[in-house]
Amino acid sequence: MRTFRSLRGARLLAALAASAALALAACGGGATPTPAPTAAPTVPPASGEPVATPAGGYTGPEVTITYAIWGDPAELKSQQAVVDSFHAANPKITVDVSVSDWDAYWDKVQTGLAGGAAPDVFAMDGPLFPDYQSRGVLLDLKPYIDRDGYDLTQLADQGVADFTTADGGQYGLPRDLNTVVLYYNKAMFDAAGIAYPDDSWDWAKLVEAGKKLTKDVDGNGTVDQWGFYTETTDMENYWSSLVWQNGGEIMNADNTQTLLGTPEAAGGIQFLQDLIYKEKVMAEPALFAETGDAFEQGKAAMESNGSWLVPTHTAAGFDFGIAPLPKGPAGRYTSVNPTGAVVYQATKAPDASWEFVKYLASPAAQEQLMQLHASIPVSKEVLAGPYPSSFEGAQVLADSLAYAKLKPSFVGYNEFTTLLQGELDVNVFNAPNKTAAAALADIVPQLDAMLAAR
Amino acid sequence: MTVLRRRVANGAAPRRRGGPVAAEARWAWLFLAPTLLGLAILSAGPILATFGISLTKWDLLTAPQWVGLDNYAALVQDKRFLVALRNTSFYTVVSVPLGMVLALGLALALNQSLRGIAWIRTAYFLPVVTSATAVGLVWAWIYAPSGGILNQLIAIFGLPPQKWTSDPFWAMPAIVMMSVWQGLGTSVIIFLAGLQAIPQEYYDAASVDGAGRWARFRSVTLPLLTPSLFFTGILALISAFQVFDQVYVLARPGKPTEATVTLVYFMYENGFKNFKMGYAAAASWILFLIVAVLTYFYFRSQRRWVHYQ
Repeated sequence: MRTFRSLRGARLLAALAASAALALAACGGGATPTPAPTAAPTVPPASGEPVATPAGGYTGPEVTITYAIWGDPAELKSQQAVVDSFHAANPKITVDVSVSDWDAYWDKVQTGLAGGAAPDVFAMDGPLFPDYQSRGVLLDLKPYIDRDGYDLTQLADQGVADFTTADGGQYGLPRDLNTVVLYYNKAMFDAAGIAYPDDSWDWAKLVEAGKKLTKDVDGNGTVDQWGFYTETTDMENYWSSLVWQNGGEIMNADNTQTLLGTPEAAGGIQFLQDLIYKEKVMAEPALFAETGDAFEQGKAAMESNGSWLVPTHTAAGFDFGIAPLPKGPAGRYTSVNPTGAVVYQATKAPDASWEFVKYLASPAAQEQLMQLHASIPVSKEVLAGPYPSSFEGAQVLADSLAYAKLKPSFVGYNEFTTLLQGELDVNVFNAPNKTAAAALADIVPQLDAMLAAR
Repeated sequence: MTVLRRRVANGAAPRRRGGPVAAEARWAWLFLAPTLLGLAILSAGPILATFGISLTKWDLLTAPQWVGLDNYAALVQDKRFLVALRNTSFYTVVSVPLGMVLALGLALALNQSLRGIAWIRTAYFLPVVTSATAVGLVWAWIYAPSGGILNQLIAIFGLPPQKWTSDPFWAMPAIVMMSVWQGLGTSVIIFLAGLQAIPQEYYDAASVDGAGRWARFRSVTLPLLTPSLFFTGILALISAFQVFDQVYVLARPGKPTEATVTLVYFMYENGFKNFKMGYAAAASWILFLIVAVLTYFYFRSQRRWVHYQ
């Protein structure tokens, strides 16, 4: 009897452990659930025209709106701070923020839009804006701007332009801007005895400094400090600026054809290929593809990348500086990419959503977001005032807007870049199978065909 | 039968409905109903709907436009689709046999009653229940070109370090290795069950007839294991054609190589990034047809090589 009872106890314990393991296994195999936005507005569906309200105040009923952004969990905290101040200023409007990583974010937004349950306000990437706006899922804010007498010139011009349509509609307000600059590791420059990059630098100087900064520090035969690093898988990180600096263009004026087939454009991309395989101041992309940013890891002395990296570079702990991108044969250019806040076309709370979108671009919220050092503010007041002195290098970022060109933005952007980068990555950057000119000659007809078939 | 006829002859009504057999049939249908309804509503319905979508041009956000078979015609000429087809076929042709052979070997090794064999078997099953993301991260570290374990290992043999997931040649094999490792557990469990179902008498009879270990394996184990082999084979074949998770976490196309585009990734890309849901639906139907045809021939071949006891 005693044996039987102890055996039963052991069996019970085993059964409990097994069911616990089953439960854990069920969690282990499944995908992480993304927070589902639940909007429960009490406002009746709005008609096409905004309700006449006195400018500068929300007088509708109490409402909750949803706000979706991409980013890392740390950004959620800062966005939540902005949301809290908004709620303090507009007690009748509650905002639910949700953050996802880049890929999951767009899946979520698209399925939400397809299912008729999209977030009321959501973040929009400049290049992807035409795809969404052309499909009628965004709310035109022009009537609200006119009603409230909102002055669009108080925001950075390129940021506003990216969300304006040809017929004068304004389908979003910019929330922040990002440009591309040259980061440099001060310790490595000091050790090599080179003066820090400044606005006199050009392509030749970049190569010269890069060569002096590429070395085998521990003497084991392999290079472990590279002079230069950038990402090659997206045009924004460097090569679009190179194309412009060499006098080329990426798209024609109405985005119906690509102009990458010109010798100037090819020259810009060729410069990047040469940095890797001819001058050898930059590692092959494969080397750091898994491990991430070489500059952040202290393996590269310079990096061309976006202003969004300032917080992560600061967190890496070493002393770095920010300089303008070196100028090319045709002058100094960099890329600017606005992120905007747009409103869902069928939102049940358009007035509340408009108030929030306005608030995000207001000097108050912009100053709060400025504390993150993560992007450049869109409010001209903040750009001229507190921003340039908010951290070391902010002045360079603020100045970069003067010579920045907008990242190309048109319907079919994703398909275009997949096709283009497919060729450039395989044959130009990952391995020098073709020269830039040859690769572009191969891919440009396909790109034009794709653009024509839209 | 005779009972019934006698009853009719006596003028009593024959019992056709309501007998014990009919009642059992009703209960069977009742228990089958949830699954059948689920299959009809949640599987058959969407499959047919997908066919409908594949005949349209649809971007998810606006109304679908009818285009007939244009999507299919465009797919056959789409280079990226053909690359995806090639990559997926390579993945299937390599990972399915490799996985089955390794799982069989492992199952034979684990088919012993050592102390703690249950813990060892559990250890081999753990990769199956580990999330694809965690597995992908660990293998990304293993495959890292500089400082990754695999490159350090082959350096001992004097081989030069490879780029693995960034190399167009090694990218798919790298994914195959990772998913074979992860999928071993399921096949091992099924083979273990199959091995333990083989009666010991057959082995005794074979030893008495003078068969050595290899002969016993070839003549007793393998033939009687063919049902399990058949089962794992079909599961592996179908899921290999649908490979997506491993590609997405380990070597997503564009970061930085394009060599790992597979059929399901192609569908995901077109449906969710390029706003071409109709095109993606057409690709999914082509995938369905390929798998259906292969499955049909695989089932037909049963007769020839599967021995049920």
